[in-house]
Amino acid sequence: MSASSGPADLARTWRLPPPWALLAAILLIICAEVGGASMARFKLEIARWARSLMLARPDVHGLVGVRDVDERILDEALVKVDAGLRLFHLHAEGMGLVIIVTTTVAATLVASGRARTALIVLFTVGGAGYPLGYLLWSGLIPVVGLTRAKVIAEWLIWIPFGGTTIVALWWLAGAVALRLRRP
Amino acid sequence: MSGAGIALAIALAGLPEAAGAHHLGTYTPRDNEISANFKQLKFSMEARKFDVALRLFEDGAVRREMREQAARLPAGLEAATRAGLSASDAQEVERALMVFLAALARNLTLEAQQQVGAPGVGPEARMAAGRLFLEAVWRYYNLIDYAASRRAPKISVAVRLAFDDAEGLAKGPASPVAAAPASGTKAAVTPVPVDPVKLREPLQRIAQALGELIEVSSPRTRRES
Repeated sequence: MSASSGPADLARTWRLPPPWALLAAILLIICAEVGGASMARFKLEIARWARSLMLARPDVHGLVGVRDVDERILDEALVKVDAGLRLFHLHAEGMGLVIIVTTTVAATLVASGRARTALIVLFTVGGAGYPLGYLLWSGLIPVVGLTRAKVIAEWLIWIPFGGTTIVALWWLAGAVALRLRRP
Repeated sequence: MSGAGIALAIALAGLPEAAGAHHLGTYTPRDNEISANFKQLKFSMEARKFDVALRLFEDGAVRREMREQAARLPAGLEAATRAGLSASDAQEVERALMVFLAALARNLTLEAQQQVGAPGVGPEARMAAGRLFLEAVWRYYNLIDYAASRRAPKISVAVRLAFDDAEGLAKGPASPVAAAPASGTKAAVTPVPVDPVKLREPLQRIAQALGELIEVSSPRTRRES
């Protein structure tokens, strides 16, 4: 795959990443904004939905049927559901920018075509997938409880996609370091 | 294997921990309606704004709860609180509110005793329930601990000691499993499972001490003493 060049004067400095990588980043940022807006707009509805799911699963959440005890459990879970949505909004915005920056750096500074393509794929897939873990975590809390929701989100999304991004970052750092060492 | 290969292997081995180490926020338990209303009343009285306190009482969760739980609370608490607020008598209001919260805490303790010994429920679930009940009991008792320690210091100490015992059992005694004295690091500890039924004894002591606090603070007992 060949990275597309920018205008003539920019071609000597920066090269644009492939359109699909940019599209993924922009879609992610749009999802972040829609998620943030929905979170604010439907805050009550989301809380009611989560609460009703939790009340229907007392064993999962350790509810004991005493208001003074159960309210504390429900409150914690609702706070975490909300936190998950906020973290999705935050990370989706951030990772969208990370994809744009890292794929631009890779497209410009990595000389090998295969390595460049692999890095751009890793940054795009890892960056676009990682924030979805927070959405999954948030959605799973009312159904499977706080602890299990975290474990599922970690192993299904955060570790594979976050790991992909971390590997790509180290790889890119190494590639850039090698390039700087060249005479 | 080359040096780069070894470095990559080490980096990949540590990857799950690095990628999974997310900050997911911390949760600080909030006041419920009753504890929040209690604090409003307390701060209003401290500012000598008894008219504000009376309004907060009439519209607040404390009075609502006093009515809803009337059958399980000492009689006359609502009237005593209102009379104290109307007469700007902070001591009387403090006494009535202390009795109210002590009664709520005692009722929770009695419920906890039943649930930690409930048949058909696994020991882990019963212990988890025990911990949650202790948290709820402490939330109420903590609000009146100062007043209780001034009015009935021995009872206050008894509640605290029983509470410490119950919390110790609920957390489980820690046993060192990987001490490493040579390296100077702390020993790793794992909680040892405790039979939840053992929690009943300190819970019983908490309930008894709270019952005594209610008894000695009731108007009839005070008149006789």
